[in-house]
Amino acid sequence: MQREKLIPEFDWHTVLVQPWSEYASNSLWIVLMGFLVSGTCGLVGCFVILRRMALVGDAISHSLLPGITLAFLLTHSRDTLPMMIGAIAAGALTVALIEAIRFSSRIKADAAIGIVFSSLFAVGVILISVFADKVDLDAECVLYGELGFIPLQEVAYFGDQAIGPKPVVRMAVIAVIAIVLLIAFYKEMLVTSFDAGLAASLGISPARYHYGLTLFLSIVIVSSFESVGVVLVIAMIIFPGATALLLTDRLSTALWISTALSAFYAIFGFHLATWLNASIAGGMTVIAGVLFGFVWMASPNQGLIVQYRRRQSNNNENLEPFNQEL
Amino acid sequence: MSTHSNPEPSSKTPAPLEVHDLTVAYTKRPVLYGIDLTAPAGSIVGVVGPNGAGKSTLIKAIMGLLPSASGWIKVFGMPFQQAVTRVGYVPQRESVDWDFPVNAMDVVLMGRYGRLGPFKHPTKADKEIAMSCLDKVKMLPFAKRQISNLSGGQQQRVFLARALAQESDLYLMDEPFVGVDAATEAAIIEILRELQQQGKTLIVVHHDLTTAPDYFDRILLLNMRVVAYGKTQEVFTFENLQNAYGGRLSILSEVALSRAQKKAEGDAPDNIRL
Amino acid sequence: MRAFWKQDFQAEANFSRMNRQERTSVLVPHLRLLASLFLLLMISSVAHAAKIGEIAETSWAEQALDFFALKHPAIRAAALGTLLIGFCCGTLGSFLVVRKLALLGDTLSHAVLPGVALGFLWNASKDPWAIFIGATGAGIMGVALVGWIKQTTRLKEDSAMGMVLAGFYGLGVCLTSMIQNMVMGNKSGLDKFFFGQAAALSSGDLWLLGITSSISIVLILIFYKEFLAMSFDIGFAKAVGMPVRALHYLLMALLTFAVVVSLQAVGVVLVSALLITPAAAAYLLTDRMHWMLVLAAVFGMASGILGAFTSYLSNNLPTGPLIVLGSTSIFALALVFGPRYGLLTKILRRKRQRKRIALENTLKSVFHLSENSGFTRKEFDISELAKERNQDLASTEKEIRALVAARLARNVDSEGDTEWSGKARFQLKKSGWHRACEIVRNHRLWELYLTNAAQYQSDHVHDDAEEIEHLIGEDIVQRIEERLRNPIQDPHGKLIPRRDQITA
Repeated sequence: MQREKLIPEFDWHTVLVQPWSEYASNSLWIVLMGFLVSGTCGLVGCFVILRRMALVGDAISHSLLPGITLAFLLTHSRDTLPMMIGAIAAGALTVALIEAIRFSSRIKADAAIGIVFSSLFAVGVILISVFADKVDLDAECVLYGELGFIPLQEVAYFGDQAIGPKPVVRMAVIAVIAIVLLIAFYKEMLVTSFDAGLAASLGISPARYHYGLTLFLSIVIVSSFESVGVVLVIAMIIFPGATALLLTDRLSTALWISTALSAFYAIFGFHLATWLNASIAGGMTVIAGVLFGFVWMASPNQGLIVQYRRRQSNNNENLEPFNQEL
Repeated sequence: MSTHSNPEPSSKTPAPLEVHDLTVAYTKRPVLYGIDLTAPAGSIVGVVGPNGAGKSTLIKAIMGLLPSASGWIKVFGMPFQQAVTRVGYVPQRESVDWDFPVNAMDVVLMGRYGRLGPFKHPTKADKEIAMSCLDKVKMLPFAKRQISNLSGGQQQRVFLARALAQESDLYLMDEPFVGVDAATEAAIIEILRELQQQGKTLIVVHHDLTTAPDYFDRILLLNMRVVAYGKTQEVFTFENLQNAYGGRLSILSEVALSRAQKKAEGDAPDNIRL
Repeated sequence: MRAFWKQDFQAEANFSRMNRQERTSVLVPHLRLLASLFLLLMISSVAHAAKIGEIAETSWAEQALDFFALKHPAIRAAALGTLLIGFCCGTLGSFLVVRKLALLGDTLSHAVLPGVALGFLWNASKDPWAIFIGATGAGIMGVALVGWIKQTTRLKEDSAMGMVLAGFYGLGVCLTSMIQNMVMGNKSGLDKFFFGQAAALSSGDLWLLGITSSISIVLILIFYKEFLAMSFDIGFAKAVGMPVRALHYLLMALLTFAVVVSLQAVGVVLVSALLITPAAAAYLLTDRMHWMLVLAAVFGMASGILGAFTSYLSNNLPTGPLIVLGSTSIFALALVFGPRYGLLTKILRRKRQRKRIALENTLKSVFHLSENSGFTRKEFDISELAKERNQDLASTEKEIRALVAARLARNVDSEGDTEWSGKARFQLKKSGWHRACEIVRNHRLWELYLTNAAQYQSDHVHDDAEEIEHLIGEDIVQRIEERLRNPIQDPHGKLIPRRDQITA
């Protein structure tokens, strides 16, 4: 057994230069995919954060496991369509079950979410174990994806012209749809997220946008799971928006910043993973976390340092923290 | 028996607000029974009553946010959904997340959204209207400030500006004077009177009994049902106030509560979702 | 929720005023119950590690017998382990459920991963203590981070939890990859942490489980009223001087221990299910906190055994998901069949209520018939009743049958169950009359109350009274009668019957 050191040597050449000098096209696809996934998730994620749906998103992403596994078992293919259908069905089932529990008992939202998604996740794990030989799904791959394999995927063609690996093209389409939807419904999403009562009084139905967002969130999660896996997709949804919201006071600006951050995650996550020989999704998440930590501390208006300084320089009583809760 | 003013004779133009025999019941909390209300154009109606009397519920029911067990509501002679652009809503301040990343201008602009559909964005004209509304409430200097950095009175004024930007004919306001300083309160009243002079109708849920007679020309005394409704001088009598606030209705509230509980045992608990 | 806590809380307020002796006498019964449950688990010999599935058996019945006879050390280990895990997670999870912090358990169960990886690194030979310490450290750090983010930024709790959950898990994933690269081809150590393998519990693991469970139970008993107060109303707890912050972190520490020790049997992600589901099932069945704790412990243990047993039967299926599904089944049973809040119970109750209301409505109509004749007649035709109730003969016949079945009326023409025709006559029995009078009295009294005391319009009151008449209780009726000074007539001028006035 080879026992290498835990943290490999940081060789400038291997980590930073080689991917671009020798494997440029592969690296390009990987980074591009990372950016598309993280960017799209981040855009949707801004609203998920503001609407306090973060854990519903987490639940949906866990529940996808049995949906995807079943789809694969039934169709024996890793084609997009069956996977999408299986995953969307699982997402819809999740939401339906959560609502059913909340509606029919005094169980509150958080417990309902927890019960539903962990049961569905358990079903998925069992399915994988039982049909381990028939399922060509590497459990770990489903759990935390493998961006590294993207360039090896089948190439998509537009007529005769080769565009790129299929997953990348799929994700690009979803990204474009996300942007179009955002432009079209920005006001409606803004109002329903901020003040549902006002929205209703303006004739904008909050329920419609709530379910629309949930549906689109499921689609985005489904498309992303191949790259980042069902567990880390939630990182890509929350981190860009959360970090961006610490840097600005306006939602529109936050959306731009989160997109920029996604690019950052993609590039540096890739290099980090190359260095450590780890999964790229993991690398992106670590970068996202580190970046969040940095912004949390150093944000010019809302950072910890600024808060500390304000408290010191204030002659009046201490500025209360934003929240008194435990 | 009941001191219920006769509704204004309906002329060719329908009244801004007509409510008949409205009953609203959550399964957990009983709220409104048999509410009758007609507000003539150009009136400011104050809705007062003790806590839990259903005042906010009435407003929400008018907007169709809550299902009604019986009765009907007409806004300008139409169901609310069809008259949406003619109604402006100022919610309670606590109903909103003030950490939301918007500034005062963004909030006021939201008032214009009812007129724009998907894909359309607020135009220059909309922005100008928003700015003039901010100016009317003296909040123009704060246009770019994030809303959590505003004081209570300032937040309330931003809400009011948003309602003005809606350019509605009927305004529904839920406790607009809670937690605001005296100057803001005076400013708000002045704007309300201005609106009244323009022929708009205002229904204002008010929390403070003592100032109600000064602000409103009609009063709806509410305690789960209409105790009294009409011109302020007629309604503000000792007997009416006793009936509304005096706690002599314990039987009513008890029965209502037990009925709601029985419903809850028999039916599923209600989740009011917007 | 108020009903849930009020009794407990009065009790706890009194509790604090008791002296030590009184307190002990109150606590002891509960202490005895939980302690005996616990001792039951601890009676066991030291177990060796082995894979359950390797023990080959032939028939299911034999296997079942084998399992419950606890012959093999591996089975004993798995059984004991899952019991302890269920116990621990069930009780601690109850506090999460009532405080609506259910997903904090989920955050914890993801956040411990980097700690597990680091602990594994420390001592690659699966030394449980290193992993335990690493995981606990990671877990507590995660929870602290959630609170800190919430306090110092505009982000809300769910986003903070999501970030910690995903961030820590991502870090753990990286570390895991790095470890797997380091020790090529040997993934087995970490594998079980993802999917759970109860059979592989070593004696060291079991000791850890036992100690954690003991500590948890002792601390819960000692601080019961503090935890209760804190869970119900944290502002109040602070106001009466309880060290809320310290208690919160104590609870979090206990939870972290529970999560960490359960990891091996249940797997990283699925532990959170064990924290929530048994407690949620208990929540559906009782209104008192201490019973909820007991039930949650029982359900947790039951899920554990179910999972271990099923895993044993199935050869090689991981225990984690099976335990989770076991607890979900228990939850589903509680949801549907729970005696007080179960769906089935609600449906049955509703049906019963509807039946009663139908009977009472029929009785009311008969009363009206009688009233219209000035109370002279006692027998009526079915066709008369049908006209009064404005419906067809067939439905009316059904209603009369129902009345007869409920012994409120009798068929005049023949006592037996014969063919009824439109001309058939019936008569109310004494009990039927009384009931009819009651209903009509309730209805008319309520109408009078609404119009007089509550200033309702007289044309609004009828529908309301139609509903209320069935739901109003005797005490309320008495109070209304007093309030209205024993009225005789309702707003429409009709008689308000009194029980003693009617002669059948």
